[in-house]
Amino acid sequence: MTERSAQVTWQGDLMSGSGEIQEVPSGAFGPLQISWPSRAEDEHGGKTSPEELIAAAHAACFAMALAHGLAEAGHPPERLQTSATITFVPGTGITTSALTVVGTVPGIDEAAFLEAAEQAEEGCPVSGALKGNVELTLDARLAS
Amino acid sequence: MPRIERHADVAWQGTNARGTGHIDAGSGAFTGLEYSLAVRIGKGTEGKTSPEELLAAAHAGCFAMSLAGELGDDDAQIQVTANVVMDEVEAKGHLIVESQLHVRAHANVDEEAFRRAVQAADEGCPFSQLIKASAKVSIDADLEE
Repeated sequence: MTERSAQVTWQGDLMSGSGEIQEVPSGAFGPLQISWPSRAEDEHGGKTSPEELIAAAHAACFAMALAHGLAEAGHPPERLQTSATITFVPGTGITTSALTVVGTVPGIDEAAFLEAAEQAEEGCPVSGALKGNVELTLDARLAS
Repeated sequence: MPRIERHADVAWQGTNARGTGHIDAGSGAFTGLEYSLAVRIGKGTEGKTSPEELLAAAHAGCFAMSLAGELGDDDAQIQVTANVVMDEVEAKGHLIVESQLHVRAHANVDEEAFRRAVQAADEGCPFSQLIKASAKVSIDADLEE
């Protein structure tokens, strides 16, 4: 069992207040500023948001699961470039996570790569946490 | 209804067991965060993050904002810690099984109104809602003097 935690302090109301994600226990990032306008408007102003952090978690989880699947199938990757885009509709919630991957994988064909990517999308723990309430999409291709 | 998109990019090199990845936020708020399997499932963190730590930060941020919205108090002070638990479940592999929220707040409300606000914040926080399909959300909340 693995536990990972993070702490946030918030001051004021939602619209005019602001928050800070404190330096995380690992020390890898933080403090990071958050606010409602930078979360819920198109312009993020260089600030992160819960949705961006979920995107980071999902892209990272997917990359790791795919690296594992490819290695198991005898095609260890040289490089995987993944991204996740989370769509947030204020008032409705988080509606989609769109994953993309461009892989550099010696000796694999497009079909086998796509199959491994689909399995990673299905099997990574963050996908497992999002599935059921969030639409997941996948766009996978090999680097040309 | 506006549709807000936020994205992040990851570059992974090598196999799952021995490779490492780097995470960049689309906003630029964080870049080049390193992670690896050993750190993700191990006890030590070596200064590296993990998907679960990022989710903990997302949930704490999301819940704090929802509670601020429910309290509607200019002078509110809210502190939220989220602890995301991943476990190996038989025949299912690694799953995120729980997110535990610890909430401390100073606000100009009575205890009962605070309880209602915490409940409503859990129902309103998009992250709480989306992980409930597969994981448990537990909350302990204290209104401080």
